[in-house]
Amino acid sequence: MKRRTVLQGAGVALGLPWLEALAATGGTEKPPVRLAALYMPNGVNPALWRPQGQGRNFELSPTLAPLADLKDRVVVLSNLWNEAARGGDGHYVKEAAILTCRTIKKTPGADIANGVSMDQVAARAVAHQTPLPSLELGVTPVAIGVDAVVGYTRIYGSHIAWSNPTTPLARELNPRAVYERLFRAASGSQADAAGMDKLLLDRVQEDARRLRTRISTADRHRLDEYLSVMRSLEERVERSAGGAQRAWKPRAAMDAKQAPPERPADHAEHVKLMLDMIAVAFQTDTTRVATFMFGNAVSNVNFRWLEGVTAGHHDVSHHGKDPEKLQQYFLISRWHVAQYAYLLRKLAAMPEGDSSVLDNSMILFASALQDGDRHWPHDLPLILGGGGGGRVIGGQHLVFTEDSPLANLYVSLLDAFGSPVDRFADSTGPLAGLLHT
Amino acid sequence: MKFAFWLWCGLALAAPSGFDTSQQFLKQYCASCHGAKPLGGFQTSQVSTPESFAKDSRAWTRLKLRIENHEMPPQGSPAPSLDAREAFTRWVDSELKREACAAGISVGPRPLRRLNRDEYTATVQDLLDIHLEIGASLPTDGAGGEGFDNAAETLFLSPLHSEKYVETARLAMDFAAKEFKSRKRLLVARPGPGLSEEAAARQIAAAFLPKAFRRPVAAPEVNDFVSLYRAARIRGEEWEPAVFFMLRAALVSPHFLFRQEPGDYALASRLSYFLWGSMPDELLFDLAAQGKLNRPEVLRALVDRMLRNDRSENFVRRFIEQWLHTRELTGDKMPDITTLPKNTDIEELLGDIRLQPVYFFREILNRKLSILNLLDSPATIGTSNLERHMGLKLPLDPGRRKQPQWVELPAGSNRGGILGMPAVLAVSSYPYRTSPVLRGAFILDSILGTPPPPPPPNVPPLEEAKPGAAPRTVRERLTQHRANPTCAGCHNRIDPMGFALENYDAFGRWRDEDAGRPVDNSAEMNDGRKFAGPAQLREVLLERKDLFVRNLTTKLLGYALGRGLTLRDQCVVDAIVAEVRKNNYSAATLIEEIVLSAPFRGEPEVAKP
Repeated sequence: MKRRTVLQGAGVALGLPWLEALAATGGTEKPPVRLAALYMPNGVNPALWRPQGQGRNFELSPTLAPLADLKDRVVVLSNLWNEAARGGDGHYVKEAAILTCRTIKKTPGADIANGVSMDQVAARAVAHQTPLPSLELGVTPVAIGVDAVVGYTRIYGSHIAWSNPTTPLARELNPRAVYERLFRAASGSQADAAGMDKLLLDRVQEDARRLRTRISTADRHRLDEYLSVMRSLEERVERSAGGAQRAWKPRAAMDAKQAPPERPADHAEHVKLMLDMIAVAFQTDTTRVATFMFGNAVSNVNFRWLEGVTAGHHDVSHHGKDPEKLQQYFLISRWHVAQYAYLLRKLAAMPEGDSSVLDNSMILFASALQDGDRHWPHDLPLILGGGGGGRVIGGQHLVFTEDSPLANLYVSLLDAFGSPVDRFADSTGPLAGLLHT
Repeated sequence: MKFAFWLWCGLALAAPSGFDTSQQFLKQYCASCHGAKPLGGFQTSQVSTPESFAKDSRAWTRLKLRIENHEMPPQGSPAPSLDAREAFTRWVDSELKREACAAGISVGPRPLRRLNRDEYTATVQDLLDIHLEIGASLPTDGAGGEGFDNAAETLFLSPLHSEKYVETARLAMDFAAKEFKSRKRLLVARPGPGLSEEAAARQIAAAFLPKAFRRPVAAPEVNDFVSLYRAARIRGEEWEPAVFFMLRAALVSPHFLFRQEPGDYALASRLSYFLWGSMPDELLFDLAAQGKLNRPEVLRALVDRMLRNDRSENFVRRFIEQWLHTRELTGDKMPDITTLPKNTDIEELLGDIRLQPVYFFREILNRKLSILNLLDSPATIGTSNLERHMGLKLPLDPGRRKQPQWVELPAGSNRGGILGMPAVLAVSSYPYRTSPVLRGAFILDSILGTPPPPPPPNVPPLEEAKPGAAPRTVRERLTQHRANPTCAGCHNRIDPMGFALENYDAFGRWRDEDAGRPVDNSAEMNDGRKFAGPAQLREVLLERKDLFVRNLTTKLLGYALGRGLTLRDQCVVDAIVAEVRKNNYSAATLIEEIVLSAPFRGEPEVAKP
């Protein structure tokens, strides 16, 4: 064992001049619509979340104060919930299903089951239009083990993006690796290298097909998972090697030399860099769909570096009405909203013809609990930012009937994204008043 | 072992039947809805005879889960007390197990599994003889089954994996192509007089592929890879890059990434991934090839040899750090380092804290000591950093005070066993304060294998505290918490063992005072038993050693098999536990018996005389 691997270097605040340096290369056609979901664990201090007033006349709450300069470009959504996640346990059931609106199966792992997440429905619809179908990002590694107290594998709490009911999507945690991945995807391979990769991928898929005939039916789904990810990689290699035939062009140029640092030890810096990666991906149009997790379910990220906070996130969320803890809970939630505002501003500063990338995006901020102390699943904290290509009616606080389906929001988002669905999970229709029809 | 096992079953059979009690339970809490006719696919008549365990074990299993998860009886209906609920589900469990064991020992499922990130890294390193943290860019694996990241059921593949596998294979081969040692190992032939370029490439593939795929590779399969070499040559690559390209493909092949070996080769891999966390060596491979591997005397000798090999550190580290969660000591669980003395070498101390339980378990294995040492032990792993941190004087070897070593503990040190180790005490605390709840739950779950019941999904709001009566200390808050009957049921069970450890701060240092007040380490168990402090807690735990031994066996078997255990595996666990008990709880016996068990060896056990 290496005895000196425990401590990472202390975090340094890094300026990010490289991001502004990307030069727009987009054409004059209508810019694509992008969709991202930012997930915050542990809920909010309920007394300081909901804005005063509704419709266009509303005042931002103390928790939402960091959005003051963006008030016209966000919609605060009240009274939505995910009914499928009401029971089960306090965290995993609610947090794993935030984008699927399904009831996850209680299991230590053998028969894991959720639904397809909203972002993946969108990703599938535009998969062939961009180099990467979607981007899954986080800052904390998968939580280890099985939570034996409640009987769920912690894998549930570490994944919000699910490509099918049994496959959670692994997240990238290292900003530098994301940047390099985006760069590789955006620049495509040289025809030579692509040809070699294709040879290799053909070979291994042939191996898998042969192996498939030798194994039990029960094991085939694992190998099918392998075949499917290898095939999609091969398709991407083929597309990128297609050269002139390729329809996709980056909407902004990337520079390999401007890659950000590896995973910084500083939490705030790490979060900012990951949000920057979403901005780069959306500006260049390397992908149009992204999810980001500020932490895993039951996250106890130690927020003692934040002024006024002396404890970890999950710890203070169980405030027991202690005013001191409630105040810290509020400060932590407000910090998350401030990071969200940072991304919105970043996108707003990226011009795209007459508009900005933010005008052509929908950035959701969501928590799967309201009051974390009670694991309260009603009236979830939700904000939608961005114009959705002109479809979203910004600058509103929409208050729906109590316990309206969260899935209705996803029906509306998928509609504005350009891949409408008739239904999503337990949806009953689109959300009234959110979109220009 | 067989004898002990049947003896155990016989005892269970002779035990007084709880059947009547179960019927009373069903009548009282279920029959009003599920009695006269089926509702939601269940009617009490399905489980109304002792024979129903054999005929409809599914109905019993589903019934048990609904009760266990507090899903039934539904809210608003009369509900059993927590104790009645648990007595019922425990009884159903034991009956189901009895039924399953009566059917005989089985091999159990053997799901197809890919190498996890650690296994992938170690395997590539061994295969190519390179020292590069090659898997560092792969996504981390989650865990399933018994709580380990080698559980087949949760080793998913995402699109991210496919990209990373292709990338790391390229990186690894580029690295190996520049290393003298690797080149020597891989390039076993060179084209020259009497050996064509393609024939040399073929010899290289024929030597490499069986190692990479951990099984013999026949000529047609070698040809498939040689044709990659040929294709690369046709595209204008030089001989050597074409050879490395061919080898690179093997690292992305499912035959490399998945454990798919047949027969004894599968056993060779199972052994080496269990005890070494990497691919089999030549001896294991040869024994499999000669058909000699699957023999008890051979396996016993191998276990001994493999545990003595340095590579066993992979096993010990991965097992201990996941079983005791000490892998989490970085990140969210990192203790507050600002409370350390100014002249501390923090990195070194944290490293020592993390390795202490790992090296401790390795010594117990190598010295063939009792696993009960994990609960209490006259010795520990010491270093000068740990000595200072734990506030002890240890008889460290003066010449190597900084090196981890096995040392006797002074009398009354309160540091014997894993519950005296800072790593365990810190990981069951918040970084900035202790939590008797977290520590109590840790003991119940990780040590005894009896996790507390789940908290309700939506906690009802607590009564407002009376003004002026706000509790100050953690202990006072918890006392108030337990005054609420909804909370008391579980917290009366969870908190006491945590209270007994209050003399250790959140960093595992000893303290007699907390915030200016004397530490109150007294506790009262659910059954009224009173005890105080870590020494008496150890006594309480040693009285429950059967639970502990069973739990450790379950965890180790789950780790060894790389999957969650089934009901019938529990019969195997019982048999192993019986054998371990007979051998003075020897750690070496425990590992041996796991390797000799039917599910591990891959065939139903041959009856012993």
